Amino acid sequence: MARDTMLSVNLVALGAWGDGFASWSDLENLLVNNSVDGADTVAAGPKPDIIPANERRRAPLPVRLAVETSWQATQAAGMNPQELSCVFVSSYGDTQLTDYMCKELASENKQLSPTKFHNSVHNAAAGYWTISTGCVKAANSVAGFAESISLALMEAVIQCNFEQQPMLITFFDAPVTQVLQNVLGEGSIFAISMVILPDHCSPPDSHLLQLTLNDVPAVWPDFHGNDILMRHYHVNHSARLLPLLKILAYSKEKETELTFPLSQARSLSINLSRNK
Amino acid sequence: MKMDICLVDYETTTAAGINLLALRSALVSQTSGLRFNDIANAAIDTWIGHIEAVDAVTDLGQWQSRNNALAALGLEQGNIKQTLRQLVKRFSAARIGVVMGSSTSSIDRTETAYSCMEEGKLKPLFQQPLVHNPHGPALFVSHYTGIAGPALTINTACSSSAKVFATAARWLSSGIVDAVLVGGVDTLCLSVLYGFDSLQLVSRHPCKPFDQYRDGINLGEAAAYAILMRGTDMETSERVQLSGYGESSDAYHMSHPHPDGLGARLAMEQAMSMAGLSPSSIDYINLHGTASRANDLIEGGLVSALFPKSTQCSSTKGWTGHTLGAAGITESLIAVDALYTGLIPGTMNLSTVDEQLDFSITSNNQVAELTHVMSNSFGFGGNNCSLVFSKVSLA
Repeated sequence: MARDTMLSVNLVALGAWGDGFASWSDLENLLVNNSVDGADTVAAGPKPDIIPANERRRAPLPVRLAVETSWQATQAAGMNPQELSCVFVSSYGDTQLTDYMCKELASENKQLSPTKFHNSVHNAAAGYWTISTGCVKAANSVAGFAESISLALMEAVIQCNFEQQPMLITFFDAPVTQVLQNVLGEGSIFAISMVILPDHCSPPDSHLLQLTLNDVPAVWPDFHGNDILMRHYHVNHSARLLPLLKILAYSKEKETELTFPLSQARSLSINLSRNK
Repeated sequence: MKMDICLVDYETTTAAGINLLALRSALVSQTSGLRFNDIANAAIDTWIGHIEAVDAVTDLGQWQSRNNALAALGLEQGNIKQTLRQLVKRFSAARIGVVMGSSTSSIDRTETAYSCMEEGKLKPLFQQPLVHNPHGPALFVSHYTGIAGPALTINTACSSSAKVFATAARWLSSGIVDAVLVGGVDTLCLSVLYGFDSLQLVSRHPCKPFDQYRDGINLGEAAAYAILMRGTDMETSERVQLSGYGESSDAYHMSHPHPDGLGARLAMEQAMSMAGLSPSSIDYINLHGTASRANDLIEGGLVSALFPKSTQCSSTKGWTGHTLGAAGITESLIAVDALYTGLIPGTMNLSTVDEQLDFSITSNNQVAELTHVMSNSFGFGGNNCSLVFSKVSLA
């Protein structure tokens, strides 16, 4: 297998929120103990206190999901969000707002709510996050459709290395609006955040993450979990992180590697080992 | 963070010219591409930068959308396809990346699909998963060009296609690819026309950036591309480099810029710091200059405070309109082209400079020898990006 540059970072903390889990420890529990019952989460999604109250009322579900897990991860890392550049990725974008705008624009009336219009930008999550935390660092908002997670992970790891900059990565997707479901799939409530540091910072209990781009394509790895997680894995592009999250949840001492698709001709191998 | 990233080729498609050559002559003759809004079903009293040739691109099959049509039209201009073919031969399709910026992606197609639903469902013609998602532009450009390396879409509203340069520079510096096609594409559609109208940001007249009597923006559409490589892989001794980038957030409001231009200032300062340049070294800035009351006051105020009078500035939105997610790269390439042609475009429609501003801006074109140029792009969500490009000559 042809290989090129290896990129290393340290993964120091995670945040998680989705159908069946409201924290990384909830999700770890689902991954490791295979428990049938998820945490009692609400379909309305999280209401992160970090978003100022007047903004929180207007914040759409995908935004609240992304801000919630971003906050969890930075808190778990013991870091000030203002120190972190960030990459936010969502495969579908906010399809509820797409649906609202397209229905309104197909009507005679064609009046759009200015708030809904500015919330419809793909970088709404990055905007609300930086506004809520006072972070003036670089905030990226990217899209990679089926390859969302591998592309965003690669993008953030490269930026972390090149700029020697701590980074927040947030992967999030929400249920797809009814009209677009037979085109894009159902989606589900699923968000994960990770805080990564340049490779010379390796706090205890962190994981060394080594990424290698291969010059061959790959298919998505098999994933086995309980019904809640299997559903996420099959209906939500962001949930394709689950095989990686499972390795992190087991947190075994030995090195483990898995490979994700990246593009038509390339794939991304992720080697994980625990820093002592 | 030492960068050695060069532009190998570039092209633009705007209302002011189907390709770079046409844009150059429109710039020289100060011929605007703006006209009164005549888009069917969009009864909004404003001026727009509309590219008619897009409507003739109808053979994209399952990829069809107005945005992809403009992306394809842009790729047919100049030598972009030939340059890519040579690079594929040299490096392989897998070793070339794509980074596209867009704010609308193909929401134009979703709008059309919704306007003719049958029993609450999209018609089979519109069942296009690879089109109705924010990554549509890079998926389509990879498909159309045969590039098989990593392809990413950046959607940070009006800074999208400025940020493509920063991402591509990092990809190339890390060695994961040997060349990157960066681009920006956005098309006029009902979402942006009615959306910006709802925010009361569109002007009923041709836009007048930085004018005392400016009253809003004109929306436009554009596709623009550049091919980037590491300098170490190039043979030519005369080059244009991306010498610095700055990316920042306002942390202020979703659709109003920070009143003191906090994020915009950080982006400009970071870009100059990375390039190892002081403000007095910047010969020309292509400003974001949307002609909105707020943007121009804040951006103009910052430039007045940060840059000496020797730095010439202009907004070229009077030619193209505000091309949203395609503006970053379109205007960067206007600045880059000035490094080759020596033509500094004026600020079209400017007659009385805003009294609160004090920097070098004029409606007239100028001719000068330029070495370092800057381009500013600021978007919703308080997302900012500044880029510095430099002409270098290796002895």
